[in-house]
Amino acid sequence: MISPHTPDDVSRRAFLETVAKTGGQSFLFGSLFVNTAMLRLPQDVASPKAKSETEVGKGVVYGFVVDTTKCIGCGSCVRACRAENGVPDGYNRTWVEQYTFYPDGEVVVNSPNGGENGFAEPPTRNMPAELEKVQPVRGFFVPKLCNHCIDTPCIQVCPVGASFKTPEGVVLVDHERCVGCAYCVQACPFGSRYLNPETNTADKCTWCHHRITKGLLPACVVSCPAEARIFGNVSDPESKISRILATNRVQVLKSYLGTRPRTRYIGLDSEVI
Amino acid sequence: MRHAGHFLRLVALVAVAVVGFLFVRSQVVPKDFGVTGHFRLSAIADEGKREARHIGSDACAECHDDIGKSWKTGKHHTPQCENCHGPGLMHTKVVAEESTTAYPDKILKLKNAIKRPTGIQECKWCHLRTFERPSTLKSIANVEAHVSEHKGTFTKDTKCIDCHNPHTTLVTFDAKGLPVKPKIAP
Repeated sequence: MISPHTPDDVSRRAFLETVAKTGGQSFLFGSLFVNTAMLRLPQDVASPKAKSETEVGKGVVYGFVVDTTKCIGCGSCVRACRAENGVPDGYNRTWVEQYTFYPDGEVVVNSPNGGENGFAEPPTRNMPAELEKVQPVRGFFVPKLCNHCIDTPCIQVCPVGASFKTPEGVVLVDHERCVGCAYCVQACPFGSRYLNPETNTADKCTWCHHRITKGLLPACVVSCPAEARIFGNVSDPESKISRILATNRVQVLKSYLGTRPRTRYIGLDSEVI
Repeated sequence: MRHAGHFLRLVALVAVAVVGFLFVRSQVVPKDFGVTGHFRLSAIADEGKREARHIGSDACAECHDDIGKSWKTGKHHTPQCENCHGPGLMHTKVVAEESTTAYPDKILKLKNAIKRPTGIQECKWCHLRTFERPSTLKSIANVEAHVSEHKGTFTKDTKCIDCHNPHTTLVTFDAKGLPVKPKIAP
């Protein structure tokens, strides 16, 4: 038996042969996986026009912009979402996070009840009394919701085809097919999904699909008093959201994961996770 | 060909298994599954069937026109009616004496199926000062301090709407310079 750490016994010829053999094998297997990866999103690949996200479907492609510089942290969106969609207590389809920066470099992230009752209490740092008196230096609110990704991890893991994407780019759950295995809840890197204890099926933000198909705006967008949430058709260059996307510097959450979210953020800080 | 019978039996078994699988599959898988992707196509329409529970401030103003007008022309027109009063769908159904038996909404237990705001909690959602809120937003750090600053006495029954009209934010003063309790609803 040849140990990998004793190369003295291996001739140059044998070494080159092994390299060529394993290299060829991995190239063949690699091309196989590339092919399956290309077939991953048939609804996007099937259409020859589907070059970018704005060309998927028959015209309308929805987008969502969150302006974190405008959010005042009132929690109106959280309450409106709960009332509109009958979200059970303790679960959230959308929530607001409060980021507070202290001079010692610590960042405190707080979201009591998802910000449903506002942010009246100052965040506690569990510090000695003299350090608790230290005033923060910087702070802001970040509303969160489903990112309606183009390359969705949650749809890929569904074993029964209950999670899917509409031609307009909205990620939905088929509550008749869902078996409640909660794979998608674990797969979502943004924590946007939960298992509804009333229906025992996966549930998530639908961008208020029942409202937008009737020509209304999502409940959180309507209720926002600071215009921090903008929703619309991104394939129409004249729409409000297209103008905002054209005139602002936007960022997505966790771009390094490559899920390509359709929810974009204005003024996102590097500390936001 | 001594063993042909064995092969035939095996082929028949496989054929029965394949036909059985295809039959069960045709019964179990919905007809419109896989039409445009790995999902049931009619699930999109199912999701859109629900009624919108937030009816919008314009719909509120159709009946409550006085309040609607003062709200729309006043300074406080960015928060919508339903931000404080809750969704209005059930209210319109109850007032129009429609049957609401199909709806399990908690809000149906309230009078006229609409929330009566407390007059202090709703204000705090936006106007209590926290470090993260922008300085352009009018906010107070402490309700008690705010009341004593304006020569009032804070009790547990003190509400913001004792002085401020929540629909317009206006405060009216009497001859002595003290705030008058605003007339909010007709």
